[in-house]
Amino acid sequence: MSFRNVWAVIRREYLQRVRSRWFVFSTVGGPIFLFAVLAVPAWLRGGPDRDRPPIAIVDGTDALYDRLADDLVAAGFPVERARWTSTVVDTLRRRAAAGEIDGFIMLDQFTLESGDAVLYVNRRPSVVQRGAIRSAIVRAALEVQLEQQGVDVEAMLSGGGLAVEMLSAEGTQDGEPRFLVAYVGAFLLYMVILLHAVAVMRATLEEKTSRIVEVVISSMEPWHLMLGKVLGVGGVALTQLVVWALTGALIVKSGLPTLIAGGSAVGATGPGGIGAEPGPALDLMSAIPDTGLVALFVGYFVFGFFIYSGLYAAVGAMCSTDEEAQQAQLPLVLFLVVPIVFVLQVIENPSDPVSVGLSLFPLFSPILMWARIAGGSVPAWQIGLSFVLMAAAILAIAWIAGRIYKVGILMTGKRPTLSELWRWVREA
Amino acid sequence: MNDPDRAVWLEGVSKRFGSHNAVSDLDFEVPRGSIYGLLGPNGSGKTTTIRMIMGILHPDEGRVSLFGGKPDLVRRARVGYLPEERGVYRKMKVIDLLVFLGEIRGVPRSVARARALGWLDRLDLGAWSGRRVEDLSKGMQQKVQFVGTVIHEPDLLILDEPFSGLDPINQDVLESIVLDLNANGTTILLSTHLMDQAERLCRRVCLISRSRKVLDEDLRTLRARERRGVVAVDFTGPDRWLSSPDIQAVERVGGVLHLVLSDPGAHQAVLRRAIDEGAEILRFDLVEPRLHEIFVRHVGRSNAGLLPS
Repeated sequence: MSFRNVWAVIRREYLQRVRSRWFVFSTVGGPIFLFAVLAVPAWLRGGPDRDRPPIAIVDGTDALYDRLADDLVAAGFPVERARWTSTVVDTLRRRAAAGEIDGFIMLDQFTLESGDAVLYVNRRPSVVQRGAIRSAIVRAALEVQLEQQGVDVEAMLSGGGLAVEMLSAEGTQDGEPRFLVAYVGAFLLYMVILLHAVAVMRATLEEKTSRIVEVVISSMEPWHLMLGKVLGVGGVALTQLVVWALTGALIVKSGLPTLIAGGSAVGATGPGGIGAEPGPALDLMSAIPDTGLVALFVGYFVFGFFIYSGLYAAVGAMCSTDEEAQQAQLPLVLFLVVPIVFVLQVIENPSDPVSVGLSLFPLFSPILMWARIAGGSVPAWQIGLSFVLMAAAILAIAWIAGRIYKVGILMTGKRPTLSELWRWVREA
Repeated sequence: MNDPDRAVWLEGVSKRFGSHNAVSDLDFEVPRGSIYGLLGPNGSGKTTTIRMIMGILHPDEGRVSLFGGKPDLVRRARVGYLPEERGVYRKMKVIDLLVFLGEIRGVPRSVARARALGWLDRLDLGAWSGRRVEDLSKGMQQKVQFVGTVIHEPDLLILDEPFSGLDPINQDVLESIVLDLNANGTTILLSTHLMDQAERLCRRVCLISRSRKVLDEDLRTLRARERRGVVAVDFTGPDRWLSSPDIQAVERVGGVLHLVLSDPGAHQAVLRRAIDEGAEILRFDLVEPRLHEIFVRHVGRSNAGLLPS
């Protein structure tokens, strides 16, 4: 009987939210937005464009064409080879005027020596396109020259290889630290936990101010109502995360990041740059977290959500207006902001005692422990311990918040002081 | 304690909030099948009393029993409770809200849905079942709230200041439904400060003032006892009989005269004398005291009694 009540509350809360325009918008819109953020700049930089007519390359050196063609195709410029003849310029001009080719590049001995070349085009290329073509030419020339000296250009340009050998036992079980994943993930955790915990607070406040709560409470334990709300909103959050994760996986599988990365690699090397850095292309590929990390993300979200939604439900129950609730939730926001302040330091020094301590504190664990894990080295026992501590915190918070909720939900008038709150907890 | 004839039974119940006595030493019982009125001015402790019956608040002293036991969830599920401060989930569809309210009291969803649709039709809201609650007028929302209160076919209906702000027609509709439900065996506990409403509906009333019970009686007995000996008369012919010693005062109220008798039982003597003297009596009514007058009389007396002499 009583679980049926909880179930009814969960069901109502879940369906109302999932059917809302806001949910559909953010769930579907999130991946689209992310996709747009990644894909649009790549596309603007001149990503793959199959409809574009090729650029003809007239190679007077007979050494550059193969390398240059590879680079340009990778950068999204289709190319074709044109033989060096005395009338080649006239022929190509005519073809360009007819739209058969986009333009043509003339390479000669000077290109090999100084990287100079001439690009004939109908439309003025963008700065980025020009830079991409220029760096591809310079790179091809350098490679040809250096290879004649016996240098492994490929290996050098991809940044060499700095092998890290651990001298201590610390963290050897983990791979390379991944700053981007750790940082973005921690921030995402902060956002989803806060967003949905606040949703619990708002829902509680709305029930209280609309006075529906008295009817509901007369048919069920206040504590069950609170549990139902938390689980309902939590279910909505999980649904959203799962949708995001699945679309993310689909996007990865579709090979889109590789395409985007391919497009952005050239842009990143930029005018003058000849691939001195791997650029965002490699970061993007390594930034795709593995399944274990995603599972831990969900785990830390669930525990963090329970911790904070309990606290936020209590805040919603003790306030009577939105303004009051906004103020009363400030201390809670602080608890969520502290980990964000420390997250960089924790990722950089994952084994530092301060990092370990902070990340084991249950209110910080959801964000900091996950960031440490994503960042590199966390012994398994610490992960386990963090979950045990969070579980204990959830029980304690549920006990206290449940009591505040029970008294507060029927109270009207001004917000209770701390000592009044304590009396509620004792007497409820 | 296990008394099947009482739907609600309070014994010596007190509730304080800080230094404020909300309810003091209150006893009353609501017999099964009755329509019981809990009357009192605003702030007299009616809502607190009802919240204790519904197990939302716990008495500091005394005992509250519902259907002969503690007001636990199982027993509370047999009550339809319409609180004074009633709300709705504004964003929900009317039908979803009603199904939800049935579900949390243990009615299967399909049953709740069928019943809700039946009730909505009966209240001329059939066309609104798929609309959001916020699209409805305040009056329609009140009717929806009423349906939500009876969706689980409760044995006891507790209505706290019901139908306030409804137009007279809808008020009539809902009141006749309440009387209908009572005729089919539902016990009604009605809290109100509207004496007219109590007079229309209640069979027994309990007057509360300043957290204390002032009286608790069958409405007819109460009226008979509180009858003050006022007669409304209309007549033609001589009027010398009006100066009889049995008549204390004569007041003109509208088109009729109100005779205040010196002894409530003197109306027969007065009537006889009037006829003997040749007056043609067109109307001779014993004026029933209005609940409102009784209420003011008692609340005034009890308040006076609280003052140190």
